[in-house]
Amino acid sequence: MATTISPHRRSLERQRIRQDWLLLAPQLILFIGLTLVPFAVAFPVLFTDRLSFQDTSVDYIGTANFFRIFNDPSVQAEYFPALWRTIRFVALNYVMVFVFGLTLALLIYEVGFTGWFFTIVYLPMMLSGLATGYIAEMLFSRSTGTVNLMLREWFGITSPIDIKLPEGTTVLLPILIGWRYAGFNVAIFLAGLLSIPTDTIEAARVDGASYWQRLWKVYFPQMIPAFIIATIFCLIGSFGVFDELIALNALSSNNEAKLLSVTFFTYAFQSQRLALGLVLTLQTFLPLVAIAVLLQRLQRRLQY
Amino acid sequence: MVSTTSTSERPAAQATTWTPARKRRLLKALATAFMLAYAIVTLFPFYVLFVRTFVSTKESVNLHLWIPRQEDISLDAEVGNLSVQYNLDLRKVKEDLGIKGYVNPRDSLRKVAEKHKVPLERMQQYFSGFGTFNGWITLLNNPAFWQSLVRTVIVTIVSIVGLCFLSILTGAGLAGLRRRYQMTIYNIYLLQMVIPTIMILIPQFLMVQGMQNLIPSADKPGYTRWAVQLIFLILIFIKGGALSTMVFTSAINQVPSELEESAVLDGASRWQYIWRILFPLLKVPIATVSVIMLPVFWNAFLEPFVYLDTANTTMLPVIANYSGAYAVNYQIIYTGVFVSVMPLLLVYLLLRKLFVRSVMAGAIKG
Repeated sequence: MATTISPHRRSLERQRIRQDWLLLAPQLILFIGLTLVPFAVAFPVLFTDRLSFQDTSVDYIGTANFFRIFNDPSVQAEYFPALWRTIRFVALNYVMVFVFGLTLALLIYEVGFTGWFFTIVYLPMMLSGLATGYIAEMLFSRSTGTVNLMLREWFGITSPIDIKLPEGTTVLLPILIGWRYAGFNVAIFLAGLLSIPTDTIEAARVDGASYWQRLWKVYFPQMIPAFIIATIFCLIGSFGVFDELIALNALSSNNEAKLLSVTFFTYAFQSQRLALGLVLTLQTFLPLVAIAVLLQRLQRRLQY
Repeated sequence: MVSTTSTSERPAAQATTWTPARKRRLLKALATAFMLAYAIVTLFPFYVLFVRTFVSTKESVNLHLWIPRQEDISLDAEVGNLSVQYNLDLRKVKEDLGIKGYVNPRDSLRKVAEKHKVPLERMQQYFSGFGTFNGWITLLNNPAFWQSLVRTVIVTIVSIVGLCFLSILTGAGLAGLRRRYQMTIYNIYLLQMVIPTIMILIPQFLMVQGMQNLIPSADKPGYTRWAVQLIFLILIFIKGGALSTMVFTSAINQVPSELEESAVLDGASRWQYIWRILFPLLKVPIATVSVIMLPVFWNAFLEPFVYLDTANTTMLPVIANYSGAYAVNYQIIYTGVFVSVMPLLLVYLLLRKLFVRSVMAGAIKG
């Protein structure tokens, strides 16, 4: 190959590569500097007893931090309840991706794309996570929640739904988050549906397949890339959920809203256990990131 | 929710005596009814949020689906209680009513008026509607809130412009994805999608704090420190990620290469080609990235909460700060949430066509 390329072409080629790197450099330096380098900077901290960001008397303690999750009851007492709450929360969030996103996407696909309806479905995406948490409080707070007050005034139901109960955070919040991200997930699923060649759908229809059969035999198998994308976003987003929980007082009084993200945050920023918090964060999230990377690879292989 | 699509399909399978046209009309009607119901359910929380900005903490135990009648403060209310429950700013009250000297927080308003020779009517007038408009009064009288609004606007606009600028360069450098380094860099950007924010936060803060400490006079409160903090926040926002890289790379890839060749023949450098010829062709991807990232930057809470001092923060941390340690005045918080979401909703409704188109374009790229 190389022998057939003239020296002039080769110098042009080299010039182009140099230009590519110049174009790529500004954002790449920022991205690597703020996404990957931090892990390198934080790596030595994992093996120390560093208490806080301001801590100056830091000692090397080996790999002790890595075993605290297995042999320190005080850590276990905080970590495992939070882990359990988080898993419940993530599982329900994942259900809501389909309850809201897939259902509405199928509806829009069958009825035909109507601008006003998608505008409405996407509207809650304008809310912040914090606002979502406060809206949960506003609607479902025990004595002042509007929905509870409506139930009491109109139907005489006096046992209210309570956002601060264990079921509150892990059941009501996923419903609200499902509602908030409905437009986002509809867009993903609708893009998946629109990528299905219409002749496969027509063929199934001509062969007399019921809607249910069409759904499982024609639509879903061809939507797998969309399912994978939605799964990645839901998995990463709900394990990292934070703002909504802050609105529900997770940092102060509401223990039921203390999911893993809040636990790690308090370890690092409030309760003087920075190094331990860092280790727990990595122990929890690295397997998750690995799964997400595999899913991402799979999705890209299916799509191209 | 789930049942609607399945029920809307079930008659199609069972009622075989129906003509297809009648079936289709019925299904269409059912679907429209469901869509209307969903629209009402979606708009309801926004409406309640608006109403609740006028419902004081005291009134919040009663159901209000419309702005309640004006609620005044009883003159027998204790000043101390008012500061806790209504975030009453005693300094401002004293200034407005011309009261000098010490005001005992255990005194009622009536007693304060007597002690400091303020006419009772004046007192009554001053506190008229204080319950109903407490959220608005407190929030709009708080200079910190206005400053945070300005910061939010600046950070959002600079971040969107910066992100598009840098991502166009990245897209131009990656377009084609023919060489190995291009593929590697593309994959590095895709990593952003799989790293949870909270996982990166602690290491990132550790590093950013270390870097900020290297800058002289950034360790104590002052304009240098605040400027440095805002710059780092913007850098975190514009560092790029999966969406911006995918959208710009594929858009630039679709531009025919003859365009660049002819530009080069005419003596244009690559930089000139990117900004004179390519840039005007990138309206759609720029809109896509801006429209998807606008709510993300505007609504960011965790990053400003961690990286910015309380005196230097954006809107959402200011609102969250109102949930104090003792009594939470939710009226102020709801007002704050309402004010924070309003500008975004207006932009969204004005540009809804652009939003819908861009979101769908972004989803298809993903």
